[in-house]
Amino acid sequence: MNMLQQIAEQNLLDIEQAKAAGRSVIGFYCLYSPTEMAVAADAVPLPLCGTRNTPIAAAEEILPRNLCPLIKSSFGFAITDTCPFFRFSDIIIGDTTCDGKKKMFELLSRYKSTHVLQLPQNQDPETALPLWRSEMDRYKTIIEEKTGIHISEERLRAAIQLMNRERGARKALMDLGKIDPAPLSGSQVLEILFKIGFMADKEKGISLMEEVVAQVKNGAFRSDAAAVGNGKRILLTGVPVGLGSDKVVKIIEQSGAVVVALENCSGYKQAFIIDEAKDPMDALAEQYLSTPCSVMSPNTGRFDLLKEMIREFSVDGVIDLTWQACHTYNIEAFRINELVQETLNIPTLHLETDYAESDTEQLRVRIQAYLEML
Amino acid sequence: MRKRFAGIDIGSRTIELVVVDDSGKIVISLQTDTGFDPMAAAKNLIHSVEYDRIMATGYGRNLFEISFDTLTVTEIKAHAIGARAFFPDVQAVLDIGGQDSKAISLFESGKVKKFEMNDRCAAGTGKFLEIMAKTLGFDIETFGREALLAENGLAISSMCTVFAESEVTSLIAKGKSRREIARGLHTSVIQRAAGMINRVSSVGDIVFTGGVAKNPCMRRFLAETLGRNVLVPEDPQLVGALGAALLAREIP
Amino acid sequence: MSEDYRGMWKDLGLDLDGHDALLNVLGGAYQDIYLAQKNRPAGMGYFDFVMSEVHGLRIRELLDEKKAGRKIVGSYCVFVPEEIALAANATLVGLCSGADFAMSEVEKLLPRNTCALIKSSFGFKLGKVCPYLESADMIVGENTCDGKKKAYESLGHLVKNLYVMDLPQVKSEQGRALLKSEYQRFRMAVETLTGVAITAESLKQAIQTVNAKRAAIHRMSSLRKADPAPISGLDALLANQVFFYDNPARFTASVNKICDELEKRIAEKKGVFPEKTPRILISGCPQAVPNWKLPFIIETSGAVIVGEESCVGERGTRNLTDASGKTVEEMMEAIVDRYYQVDCAIFTPNPQRLEHIQEMAAAYKADGVIHYGLQFCQPYLMESIPVEKALEEKNIPTLRIETDYSMEDVGQLKTRIEAFVEQLR
Repeated sequence: MNMLQQIAEQNLLDIEQAKAAGRSVIGFYCLYSPTEMAVAADAVPLPLCGTRNTPIAAAEEILPRNLCPLIKSSFGFAITDTCPFFRFSDIIIGDTTCDGKKKMFELLSRYKSTHVLQLPQNQDPETALPLWRSEMDRYKTIIEEKTGIHISEERLRAAIQLMNRERGARKALMDLGKIDPAPLSGSQVLEILFKIGFMADKEKGISLMEEVVAQVKNGAFRSDAAAVGNGKRILLTGVPVGLGSDKVVKIIEQSGAVVVALENCSGYKQAFIIDEAKDPMDALAEQYLSTPCSVMSPNTGRFDLLKEMIREFSVDGVIDLTWQACHTYNIEAFRINELVQETLNIPTLHLETDYAESDTEQLRVRIQAYLEML
Repeated sequence: MRKRFAGIDIGSRTIELVVVDDSGKIVISLQTDTGFDPMAAAKNLIHSVEYDRIMATGYGRNLFEISFDTLTVTEIKAHAIGARAFFPDVQAVLDIGGQDSKAISLFESGKVKKFEMNDRCAAGTGKFLEIMAKTLGFDIETFGREALLAENGLAISSMCTVFAESEVTSLIAKGKSRREIARGLHTSVIQRAAGMINRVSSVGDIVFTGGVAKNPCMRRFLAETLGRNVLVPEDPQLVGALGAALLAREIP
Repeated sequence: MSEDYRGMWKDLGLDLDGHDALLNVLGGAYQDIYLAQKNRPAGMGYFDFVMSEVHGLRIRELLDEKKAGRKIVGSYCVFVPEEIALAANATLVGLCSGADFAMSEVEKLLPRNTCALIKSSFGFKLGKVCPYLESADMIVGENTCDGKKKAYESLGHLVKNLYVMDLPQVKSEQGRALLKSEYQRFRMAVETLTGVAITAESLKQAIQTVNAKRAAIHRMSSLRKADPAPISGLDALLANQVFFYDNPARFTASVNKICDELEKRIAEKKGVFPEKTPRILISGCPQAVPNWKLPFIIETSGAVIVGEESCVGERGTRNLTDASGKTVEEMMEAIVDRYYQVDCAIFTPNPQRLEHIQEMAAAYKADGVIHYGLQFCQPYLMESIPVEKALEEKNIPTLRIETDYSMEDVGQLKTRIEAFVEQLR
């Protein structure tokens, strides 16, 4: 676990070196655009979604205050130039996901070259997939022009293989949460997943995660597990969380429960495999389009995934987190609650909050009350 | 007898009445609490003075218009004119009253260029400071001075008055310095105010008006945070009424 | 409205008590806001009549159409082509509503911090107080903003035939292709609903009918360039609101008649307010009937509204559809071309909107622009800041308003608007 401390600094150095060696850095704000495209062009893909509260004040001078904190944080980092990963990025790839991000990208483009892909609003194989597939062609051209590297089929297949392995390692790490009692806390898992995203060398990340899994299987962390103990097993669903925006995960675990599963973009939504037998561009378009984010309507994928995860992770309760002003997850919360009520015979705890610390006690009371219900 | 023009600023906490002569000089200025019956309080004030024409501003101006023969003007324009009477070249005005706050920028001519108001919530207003002073056991008159006595301020994260109050209570319970808390609270209010004034005006001197402008800590922090000169009229609460009176004078 | 209609409303499944309450409030508001105006064109009497019969005569007309085999299609967006509905023997009615209703029921299905327009539409359905909703044979939802998109997922369970139209988010080749394929799909759905296939004749006729409505509105808008303005913003807004559900031919004739009268007024320099009254352009979110809050405040604060850059307004009626095509395919293409130009804030980027606002400000000789954003409407609220900056750089005074349907903030809005009008004098 100590290696986690050093990872953050090392990540920055590695990226600097990569840039010095001529590799491009591509910034992303979403799971819909395949990172494989960047990897296939020897570029470093970086997940730029802001997870800190500090830059939000600056963002609020340009963006409306009533806006998702993730968007404000991301934008704030960009305009204050306080995020080294944003600074390192040569270009930004955005997608027409939610209204807030869509309109934010318009302003972001004044600070860095931003390319926005038109993500469909549903996942219909007849109508949406062809649109997304053609956007993949445009995306490929954008990356090729930036990096100067022709993305051949071979390169793409290799990238898919590599990222499949990385996602496999992520899944294996997250699947440790299926063990009872959970050997790692949700905070620990989240920290690892978060920091892996910034690694310039994907192999390093894969090794790290595989090692953690191996250590767990060999009985390490057993004492931590005892401390985690008989805590209620909670699945956290909803919006993405990261280091800095993980206040809810912390509060849940301070209250004696353990977050055994993350049904969100930061977690299990990344546990997919690209079909290596298919044409790579087709396979990428198809798999990535199926990402079950609430911007999709309908979003049946999320409901299916949630049902599966509740079962496989032996979950006692589900906490549904919505960032303030996120309309899509907020509206979907009603039916997620219905699903959980049907499946587990208890409701979800739906929390709506932002990145600030000011409502910590209010959240704690609600979370504790919910845990008492289970 | 020279002509006299009155301006009355009917706020939700206090009512100010200013009478100017036809050279624009203040001859009378009065203040009273609004209380439960604003019109009765206003009536009392105006019956004690003589004037040829009156202009009403503030929250209660439309109500006043129904009962009395008067013209009305918004507190935005009234503050702009009033501030200019004290400081003829100024192009930025920040008014923090009991229950609202506003930032106004002016053209060189003195005409209103842009304004922003916060009148939906107590945060960043005099009310916020009053409630916090009480919670900390300070007098509102000396609250600012007490805050200035602290070397450092404790950051208060709640924007909302209600939640900030509980935050302060729990800090007191933890034994934190009341002066440091006071300083932190003043910083909160200034941050809101600074944001507001920055959005309408980014350079130049600022005239600071309203009851809160009497608070020395607020004046100092405002100047320091913005790096701009902060000018405060002798009686910062009269600015709206003065502006209304001067406008009454301008009518042919 | 006469007692006659209670039977009709009952048959439609309306909650009679709730409906009575709604009509009462509507009637009262109309009295205080519309009938209290001075110097109205006499021709507005037509719209007074329409409003007095809004749930009566018009509904009876629609139900008679249904008896004769037509279908009623309800929609929530100007992107749903009226031409296609008309050509397939259906009548399109706009369902967006402008008043809070049954909020406690709504908030069981939608979060409180959802835009008022969406909540109102749900409220009218849950409260069973909208005969248009209840008469509709098909209700078209559309993938525009996040709120609407996700709300329709629940609306589908509340209405008997919800059809969701997908829309592009980017104006590009693929975006246009998506719009075209969605219009083809919509056409097939309406043809299936009505059992009537669209022909070149019926489509041309439909295009001409809708164009005529638009042309009448264009004519009225043009006449508002005069000073003094011959018609109030309140009245013009009402005409724009009624555009969505009145009988097209009768609407067109009535508006043209009003325009004849307005021309006379202009010749006589007769206006609703004195010459040189500060002139305001409203820009932003649509104001659906009976949402009259903002124009009422503005026009009782010493200003006149001379244009609306909004879907209920010029953004919705701006262009005509090219009717010159010979085949259904050619005309469908023309329809796609026409609607593709609508510059709603859900599109990214959306530069044409800013251009249009500037053009309108100049054309209607507006002294200032008031940007109207519904609380929680991210697309328009996020565009409001760059729009304000750009307008101020051109020295066009701008005021940004963010509000909802409630009456709680009327006092604060009035202060801001009065202060803004003072700036303009």
